[in-house]
Amino acid sequence: MDIGLLGQYLANGIILGTMYALVAVGFTLFFGVLDVIKFSHGDVLMLGAFTGFTAFLGLEFVGVTDPWVQVLVVTLVAVAGTAFIGAVIARYLVLPLKAAPPLNILLITLMLGTAIREAVRLFYPNGSNPKPFPALLPDASTDLGNFTLRADSVILVAVGLAVIVGLHLLINRTRLGLAIRAVAQDEETARIMGINYTMIVLVTFAIGSGAAAFAGIMNGLYYNEINFGMGLLLGLIGFSAAIVGGLGNLYGAILGGFLFAALQTIGAVALPFASAYKDVFAFGVVIAVMAWKPTGLIAERTSDRV
Amino acid sequence: MTGITIENLSTGYDKADVLLDLSLTVKPGTITCLLGSNGAGKTTVIRSILGLTPPRRGTIRLGDTDITGMATHKVIAQGLACIPEGRRMFPKLTVEENLRLGAYQVSDEALIRARMETVFETFPRLAERRDQLAGTMSGGEQAMVSIGRGLMSGPKILLIDEPSLGLSPLYVKENFKIIDGIRDQGVTVFLVEQNVRQTLGIADYGYVLSGGRLIAEGTAEALKASPEVHAAYFG
Repeated sequence: MDIGLLGQYLANGIILGTMYALVAVGFTLFFGVLDVIKFSHGDVLMLGAFTGFTAFLGLEFVGVTDPWVQVLVVTLVAVAGTAFIGAVIARYLVLPLKAAPPLNILLITLMLGTAIREAVRLFYPNGSNPKPFPALLPDASTDLGNFTLRADSVILVAVGLAVIVGLHLLINRTRLGLAIRAVAQDEETARIMGINYTMIVLVTFAIGSGAAAFAGIMNGLYYNEINFGMGLLLGLIGFSAAIVGGLGNLYGAILGGFLFAALQTIGAVALPFASAYKDVFAFGVVIAVMAWKPTGLIAERTSDRV
Repeated sequence: MTGITIENLSTGYDKADVLLDLSLTVKPGTITCLLGSNGAGKTTVIRSILGLTPPRRGTIRLGDTDITGMATHKVIAQGLACIPEGRRMFPKLTVEENLRLGAYQVSDEALIRARMETVFETFPRLAERRDQLAGTMSGGEQAMVSIGRGLMSGPKILLIDEPSLGLSPLYVKENFKIIDGIRDQGVTVFLVEQNVRQTLGIADYGYVLSGGRLIAEGTAEALKASPEVHAAYFG
């Protein structure tokens, strides 16, 4: 295989890996602070993408056409709006059920996901059809030998990785991150330290949901299309990535996201069957990894959270 | 200086009553102890003050402020700190991060650093191990982190729950000396313990709890000679 093509696959793999990692981080954060699996996470991502798309339509309507302003506003509105929705879900659906068996929360968030998905399909104008997501990033390209370096790919890779590094710094280097880690390790002692537990849970859900919205916008910009069912597969992939990496561990989630993207890319290009089988291949490997390391690649020890 | 006033406190988990009509006073600037054997309800008194187990009846005041049923972080904001039973380290956080969490509500970075230096002066061992994960330390070292963490907020009132639990006699003696010193700095200390002799050695005043009720109170001197104390433990 020539080196140019390899570079293209690498760039695609990194973009996908960043998206998956951003979804997986949410699962891991929610599990860390509240011991819950929130299955509506993928559909919250879809909601983020549609929020961004609506913001784009709004900007077009008021006549703001500069693509840089558009992409910035679309991202900010999507992330902020979805972060708020995440906090509302935590406050009114997840926290009240804290004492319920984990299976109930899993079931209820699964149903919430379906409700969100169907609501967008039924109530968003022409919601059952895919929406063409605008190409807001410059698509200028530079030829480097056989390798075409596209500006939008470079921007997606750079900004996506920056967001992941930012999340890492937020969790590990700030007072808020310290409080999140403390709550994840020992909720009651964290309260005794004077941490407002409810506030930390809401902020954590806001951060996780905002990250998912960012992944949703990346997804829209990358495929130039969004639809009401996009959260199903992305949510499942993010959940698998979080589990494979080791649920509750931030680096496990990031590792899992990139691993899944690598598997998909390998499945699409390096294996002797059609690229349509890439997900079959990737999920198959996930099953094998789970059989080999049931607690994930970066295993959680008894009290190792976030 | 602030004290604690508990009046007619009754608390329970589910249907079982743990504390019945308990009233006690922790006078400002003293070490007041609550003695009792396992299961007497001592930790529940601490949990009630902290707002972790809301009382069914009765009131709890810090100074003049009624804190009955207040959320824990708001109670802490009143100038209260707690060294919980069993030390309760955050095992996957470093010693320094554990200490920082003790000063979570302090926003002045210089003050946090100054207090951390004071803790390191008291426990030089912690200074050497500031970047070590707390969960990898020995029980005695974790007790140092726990005491240091309790002092990081510069509390007016300190609740200490069974500091002698699981420690060697040497560490116990050392820790009680430190608690004695905390009172001398003007901090009101409410000390909950099973270890009668060591506790009455440093306390000013004490209460004895048995089966969720107070059965004796008095100065440390009086309690040392009290038949109720002996009955509660050995009877």
